[in-house]
Amino acid sequence: MNLVKKTNTHYLIFLAFLFPVMIVVDYFLIQYIVNSEVEEILLHEQERIDFHLNRDGKLPPSNYLFETVPVDDNKGHSPVFKDTMLYEGYAEKNIPYRTYTFTSSLNSQPIRITLKHVLLEINELIWLLFVTTSFIIFLIMLGIYFINQKIYKWAWNPFFENLAKLKAYNVTQKDSIHLKTSRINEFEELNKVITTLIDQVKKDFQNLKEFNENISHEIQTPLAIIRNKVVVLLESKNLDEKELQRVEAVYQETNKLSKIGKSLTLISRIENQEFKRMDRVDVHTMIANILSNMEEIINFKNIKVTTELSPVTIECDHILADILLTNLIKNAVQHNKEGGTLKISLNQERLEISNTGEVSKIAAEKLFRRFQKGSSAKESLGLGLAINQKICEIYGFQMEYVRQGEKHTFILCFKAVESGTA
Amino acid sequence: MKILVIEDNVELLQDIKHFLEEEGNICEIAPNHRLAQDKIGIFPYDILIVDITLPDGNGLDIIKSVKKENIDAGIIIISAKNAVRDKVHGLEIGADDFLAKPFYLAELNARIKALYRRKAYNGSREIHFNEIKIKPDSLEVFVRDNLLNLTKKEFDIIHFFVVNRHRLLTKEAIAEHLWGDHIEMADSYKFIYTHIANLRKKISELGGNDYIQSIYSVGYKFTDRE
Repeated sequence: MNLVKKTNTHYLIFLAFLFPVMIVVDYFLIQYIVNSEVEEILLHEQERIDFHLNRDGKLPPSNYLFETVPVDDNKGHSPVFKDTMLYEGYAEKNIPYRTYTFTSSLNSQPIRITLKHVLLEINELIWLLFVTTSFIIFLIMLGIYFINQKIYKWAWNPFFENLAKLKAYNVTQKDSIHLKTSRINEFEELNKVITTLIDQVKKDFQNLKEFNENISHEIQTPLAIIRNKVVVLLESKNLDEKELQRVEAVYQETNKLSKIGKSLTLISRIENQEFKRMDRVDVHTMIANILSNMEEIINFKNIKVTTELSPVTIECDHILADILLTNLIKNAVQHNKEGGTLKISLNQERLEISNTGEVSKIAAEKLFRRFQKGSSAKESLGLGLAINQKICEIYGFQMEYVRQGEKHTFILCFKAVESGTA
Repeated sequence: MKILVIEDNVELLQDIKHFLEEEGNICEIAPNHRLAQDKIGIFPYDILIVDITLPDGNGLDIIKSVKKENIDAGIIIISAKNAVRDKVHGLEIGADDFLAKPFYLAELNARIKALYRRKAYNGSREIHFNEIKIKPDSLEVFVRDNLLNLTKKEFDIIHFFVVNRHRLLTKEAIAEHLWGDHIEMADSYKFIYTHIANLRKKISELGGNDYIQSIYSVGYKFTDRE
């Protein structure tokens, strides 16, 4: 629910409550005002009648006179107002009247005089109130609606523009964000907070990026030195077998460290979108090349390869495409069993690589995490699929993994630009 | 051949110098941009090995100035920073080869020799090791003038061995030489093991000596020395 709808709904609920309250309050208010008006009229009439009785000794003609009743004495009868319904022959219905009964004297004879004045009919009054109140409330609602629309459009405009900017914002981009200024203090304040926050995030990101780059860069030279020295040690004739084994372990761990460094650097470069080239990559040719590069290992493991490659061209950085496809095919070879099968099928929508292999116990969704290794691969670092995942993220490819017993399938869905003709 | 190594890390510089001198090269070193420019200006070199990040400048500038002054030297970039981009850029401005740090010295040696052969002999020079003769341009190996029937990877292995004779070549270095550093897999070591066994067999069938020594589980050495 957007802001305008929300606000309008609340106003509507408020007005719905206000509506009966207004009617009730108006009803009593109007009744009170009408009654006091009527009472005033009747009191004036009493004065006028008293005056004429005193001066002329007879009742003056009066529109309000209802009845006169002679009484024995004028004690114990105070003037009294009353509401009553009287049947009117001309209207053929009961009509509400306010009556006023007081005592006066006609020719020294005490007399009770009752005056009457017609009142508003309750039904009519309520109906009238209902109609007018409804009309007023309708006008208020209309006003609120249009004012809200106006406010939404004008006052909130910078907010929505900034929102769109923030949605499109990416910390990796170089230029900082410029938010639209607003004359509304709250929005200005929000802008300030967001700008500060973004600057902070940007600074942190930059620091982290630099740290990553520095570490992966600075680590490589010392590693190269360690490795060279270790090779010299391994060539030494003075070490016994036990010592050599230890040195070899140092050598292998150094290699591993260097590879981790390289892979993590690659991931962070992909994240930083440093691969910006959009090459036209012939996927089928690239797959054929990778297969021929691995041909001897494939033959060595006695893996039966079947391919169904239709010509597909995608647009992405060819270095990343090579890494992506090599990782997938390499995995399919590495985790394959002796004499297993490897099936690669490629069409405009998807690339499917399925291979036979051990039954893995790792949950499929965990496979893409960093440092997650397959069950058997001691040598692998568990970074290949994490790298693939990153590559897929930046190009909007989808990578899925399906397992059926011994058969493992990776499915890569890409948006192929057009079919090649090769 | 005469080689200048430009690298700011003195320890690595000494390792490279030591290794290359053992190969019979004259190797000079320059730990910074200024010294490198001075030496290039005065002495002729066959091969320049250039690190991109130097304390007082950029190695790419050295390459640019070498190319500008038409100095005929092969250039190999060694770099750790931003490998992919540096590689493309470095090769664009005229470097001949690129090695990402950390590299195997044996690999550097192989690259230097290949580059030197390409430049000095148009790649046509044969490489000899006792009764073994390698023709790198036609990918042929002869034992006592009989052609060895080898697969491409077997050729790569024996070529790498002969270029780095008397050196310990670890399995990792061989694997990286054969497949590049994308591919690291357990199978590749088994593959190397099998193919070296094949190589031994094929060479001895033609009456060649077995020069391939296994060094524990670490790797191999191709040598006629004890």
